[in-house]
Amino acid sequence: MLNRRDLLKGSAGLALGAGLAGCGVGNIDRGSKAETEKPIRKRVDGDLVYFNYSEYIDPALVKGFEKLYGVRVRESYFDSMSAMMAKLRAGIHYDVIFPSAEYVQRLRSGFLIRRLDRDKLKNVDTVYSYFDDPWYDPDSAHSTPYGMYATGLGYRADKVSGMTGSWRDLGEADSGDRSFLLDDYQESIGMANLVNGYPLNETDTGKLEDSKDYLVDLKPELRGVSADTITNMVSGNAYIQHLWNGDIVNIRYGVDNPEDFKFQKCKEGLPVGSDNFVIPVNAEHPGTALLFIEYMLEPENAAQNVEWIGYPMPYEGAPTEAFQGLVKEDPEINITVEDLEQGQQFENLKGEGRLAWDEVWTEFKVS
Amino acid sequence: MNENRFATGFLIPGGLWLLLLFVVPVVLVLALSFGYTDDLGEAIYDTRLDNYERLVDPDYLPVLFRSAGFALGAVVLCLLIGYPVAYYIAVFGGRWKNVLIALVVLPFFVNYLIRTYAWIAMLGDDGLVNGVFDTSIRFINTPYAVVGGLVYGFLAFMILPIYAALDRMDPALIEAGKDLYGSPWETFRHVTWPHTFQGVLAGSVLVFLPAVGDFVAASLLGGPEEVMVGNLIQQQFQASDNWPFGAALTIAMMAFLLIWMSLYLRAAAREGKEATA
Repeated sequence: MLNRRDLLKGSAGLALGAGLAGCGVGNIDRGSKAETEKPIRKRVDGDLVYFNYSEYIDPALVKGFEKLYGVRVRESYFDSMSAMMAKLRAGIHYDVIFPSAEYVQRLRSGFLIRRLDRDKLKNVDTVYSYFDDPWYDPDSAHSTPYGMYATGLGYRADKVSGMTGSWRDLGEADSGDRSFLLDDYQESIGMANLVNGYPLNETDTGKLEDSKDYLVDLKPELRGVSADTITNMVSGNAYIQHLWNGDIVNIRYGVDNPEDFKFQKCKEGLPVGSDNFVIPVNAEHPGTALLFIEYMLEPENAAQNVEWIGYPMPYEGAPTEAFQGLVKEDPEINITVEDLEQGQQFENLKGEGRLAWDEVWTEFKVS
Repeated sequence: MNENRFATGFLIPGGLWLLLLFVVPVVLVLALSFGYTDDLGEAIYDTRLDNYERLVDPDYLPVLFRSAGFALGAVVLCLLIGYPVAYYIAVFGGRWKNVLIALVVLPFFVNYLIRTYAWIAMLGDDGLVNGVFDTSIRFINTPYAVVGGLVYGFLAFMILPIYAALDRMDPALIEAGKDLYGSPWETFRHVTWPHTFQGVLAGSVLVFLPAVGDFVAASLLGGPEEVMVGNLIQQQFQASDNWPFGAALTIAMMAFLLIWMSLYLRAAAREGKEATA
């Protein structure tokens, strides 16, 4: 008979081997500069393997692309940037992915995304000139902006009194104990930094302590800490919700009294950001991916997409007008070029700073 | 000899399963918990103790105890709801037994996350329940909603093993209890309960384990004070890109559970032995 100890010994050895072999798992294969700079030929070179947040593109446009080029779009979804990175690290091949600005910077500095020759993309000149040379991607050489967002407070004009244009309204305006903080450590710590008069990306531990204190003091005033902003407001559980501007558009799509759902940009500072198209270095069909980006840049398509996703896209002309049309009752929801210029963007924090933010958020959660 | 080889062969599928889906992941998590995160947010394996030093902070204890408390509450409620349901089906179900059991399992065809979202729609301030009864009770974002969500999520795990135990029990035993002038309560206490105790135990463990590590109920139905350890772990993996600290939290939770479960199982086994003796 095989005894139990032998079995355990055998499996322990195997597990150790697998564990050591697995040590490579977390360490991404860095691309090389030469590989990322190789020009992409714009042509159909296979089906498109697409990787994005769910519900973040008009499905009719995906169908239209399939028909136009006679290819299939194989869609898969992530629910956070971390989850996206984990899949990339696991070596899965995607042709087009949608990282936020700071993740573009990470992917670029790891040589993980291909150069997008702007001259080859029709209509790329409609992209706001603000994005010509963004901080996260010099010369926009490896990315093209997709959706953009600003963070503020969504509120029910028919229920809440005492909104003053400040972030402090979240805890101080009378919402009948129905205020929700966004469950996003960047947005929430960034907001606390702004309230305290510090830059959005403050990492000084002493100043972060002030921001943590602000959040901990805010906690009793909150009904919840939640990223389900749309559900919270549509269900009537939230009267003030810390959220992204496009969420308010989507909330207004889902209620009978859209005029009562307002957005407030706050005077202490406006966090802004963008999501982007990029083509990973291991994409198997980069040509189709380039055609897809060009298809989405087409003003009519982008305008149609803006109306569906409820978020603005930073392209001049029809897409900008489409968003202005969506929010004409409450132009505060719109993001102007001035907003982008005056707003502050989340950056990649390094080492100690990143850890300090994580600690502030965890301590806030357990407090 | 041949028989031995045959028996060993039987161990291979299960052994491989355990190895690949349990032992290897646990070893990886353990290895990762000594690592750190580089400037690109990537987890790097290493041999440092920083993550455990951070865990020593007493702030984390209330979260662990809260998680255990919510899970224990869910177990008790599942038992109070699940036992009568299982009893009814096993004893009075007759030819409808299988249909009734299928009905118990049916809600599980819908994803747990979706069912939890349904609760928000039903129990929201302006939701179905408050609308129908014309009340304005605040259900959502309370500890009760979290425990309720856990019960709703894992109830079938309690019903099924208890049902299996009751179904296996010879009904003549109950008759015998009555013949010996046992009241219904005494018959239950001395005959039915001891015979189904292993089922109750299995159900309790099956509910407790997923409930204590759950993050869905607390994040969708809880308020700021209802954070569970699952939420902290999920945050490390999905938001703040600190997989090594998430791994350390996972190991700490496993250790906490292991101590707890071994004490509980030992006590329960002793009680089980006494009850059947």
